Amino acid sequence: MKTILTVFNKELIDILRDRRTLFTAIVMPALLIPVMMYGMTKLTKIIMEKEENKKLKLAVLGSPDDFLGRLDTAKIELVHGMTMETGREAILAEDLDAMIGFKDGFMEKQTELASSKVNLWYKSTNLMVKSRMTDIMDSYEADILAARIGQLNISEDAIDPIDLKHDDIAPKKEQMGKTVGGFLPYMFIIFCFTGCMYPALDLITGEKERGTIETLLTVPASRFNILMGKVMAISLVGMAAAIMGILGLVAAIKFLPDIPEDMLVVLGSMVSAKFILMLLAMLVPLCIFFAGILSALVIKAKSFKEAQSIVSPFMFLVIVPAAMAMMPGIELDWKTALVPILNIALATKEIIAGTIQNGHYIAIVVSLIVLAIVSVIFSYSQFSKEGMVLK
Amino acid sequence: MIKVDQVTKTYKLNKQQKKELQTTASSINAVNQISFECQPGRVFSLLGPNGAGKTTTLRMMSTIIKPTAGDIYIAGKSVLKDPSYVRSQIGFLTGSTNLYDRLNPSEIVAYFAKLHGMDKTTFDRRKDQLFTKLGIHEFSKKRIGQMSTGMKQKVSIARSMIHDPSVVIFDEPTSGLDVITANSIIELIRDCKSEGKTVIFSSHIMSEVDLLCDDLAIISKGDLIYSDTMDDFRSRFSGISLTEAFIDLVHRNTTQSIA
Repeated sequence: MKTILTVFNKELIDILRDRRTLFTAIVMPALLIPVMMYGMTKLTKIIMEKEENKKLKLAVLGSPDDFLGRLDTAKIELVHGMTMETGREAILAEDLDAMIGFKDGFMEKQTELASSKVNLWYKSTNLMVKSRMTDIMDSYEADILAARIGQLNISEDAIDPIDLKHDDIAPKKEQMGKTVGGFLPYMFIIFCFTGCMYPALDLITGEKERGTIETLLTVPASRFNILMGKVMAISLVGMAAAIMGILGLVAAIKFLPDIPEDMLVVLGSMVSAKFILMLLAMLVPLCIFFAGILSALVIKAKSFKEAQSIVSPFMFLVIVPAAMAMMPGIELDWKTALVPILNIALATKEIIAGTIQNGHYIAIVVSLIVLAIVSVIFSYSQFSKEGMVLK
Repeated sequence: MIKVDQVTKTYKLNKQQKKELQTTASSINAVNQISFECQPGRVFSLLGPNGAGKTTTLRMMSTIIKPTAGDIYIAGKSVLKDPSYVRSQIGFLTGSTNLYDRLNPSEIVAYFAKLHGMDKTTFDRRKDQLFTKLGIHEFSKKRIGQMSTGMKQKVSIARSMIHDPSVVIFDEPTSGLDVITANSIIELIRDCKSEGKTVIFSSHIMSEVDLLCDDLAIISKGDLIYSDTMDDFRSRFSGISLTEAFIDLVHRNTTQSIA
């Protein structure tokens, strides 16, 4: 144990003096969530405002007498002289935002209380155009409908026999957990991985590249203890990265403006002591697993460059299951509870939503502990091979 | 004392290595049944051209790698059966060894002392002794990354000798060093000898060998081709320079193995 602590202390000092590792493990995770949250809310707000206030160029074909007068000239610029063909081309060339085409005999149909087709041409790539045009047409239709109800002398209820009331009783916390909940564990898992990656390269491959490994192997300490000291230091940096990510999230909730009120309430309730403890109980074995497996992978590399090329494909194996948890339809069950990484992501979603089952959670933590032990044993088996540790 | 007893080290060859060595053999002997002894208070030099098996031999002595056959005894204990004891008795230094750039000399020496299980009082005394002798005190808090090669080499020496080993193993310790820095190694070897330690060092620089060693062994292509005292070597090859004698021996061995 003394050797493990000696190696651990030395490696920690070494890591903390490396600016690159510090940035990847401490600074970036702390800043990424606040910057992304601020950036996304700000950007969404700016885009929405811009699109809502943008003056749309609109052509109207076969307009009824009362339609053009309804349009708000501050927000709509009418373009005249278009045909169906020239209008479509103008929309494709983005000289025109939308075109509304009333069929011949529209007014006659209305007089007969019949229905008449109206076409709306637009490009879905132009945000908000469809919804703004639909609002205009809905308002026009509502007025026509009101006139017809008056003309027929019936009540509005007569044409609305069912008044369907939507009442989503899922707590806001659960709704958010199931929707945005997948994103947070994705971030934490990536932080843990990148947090472990650079120290693993530095403490394992770096030791080999510098040639210091030979001297280290001539000390009376056991190779297992030396490796354990290194794995502990690597895991701790991975944990630090995840914790900095959580702190970044807390800071973002507390200090950032413009976060929607309901999201703020939900995120605030998520960052509870119970949530953090449950998350950490999964992240600790995950970091040890990453540290063990990364150490085993980079042991055979002779240089940093080679080690990076070995580790990079492994990153996809981490990202894919972490991202899968964000897909709809993938739920936590006894099968997914045993899929490493995916299980943490799904469990985090369930913890946020408050719907985690104790059995699932225990199975996940136990499976992660087993995985961490196996990865350390695998790493030791690699570290014990002569051909692996020497250049 | 070091006793090398019929030691062989065999490496399996993969496809790429077979191609590089232009051979169809599935394995190669880096060291082939070699035996020799190094006595305390004497300096033993292991000579041989590049790729002869010097580093492999010294790595086996240092327990970094294991012999495939035979055994090596350091201070009376087997490297195979009692590697931990052997490690506690040896100091290992190579010319290519670097240090941890982000640590300072005090931290590096303390790290290795702890790994050797030294108590604080012994460590403090030994560290002060070595730092004074090597002149490290003035830069003991400076990080390795900011040091000159000479300074680094002094720290490497302090690190290898901190636990006062009875056996010191140097693998081409002066390789790539300037004369001033190389001289610090030569002085260290002399000191070790006067302190009664067993010293073995590998080299292919005959002037260095002539200056320091009491006994020598020459290996070529993994085979031990000569082992005797330096005095006998000098008298056997009187009339020609030591370098010529070394080349002649290696050349003869190469010609015989081809024949």
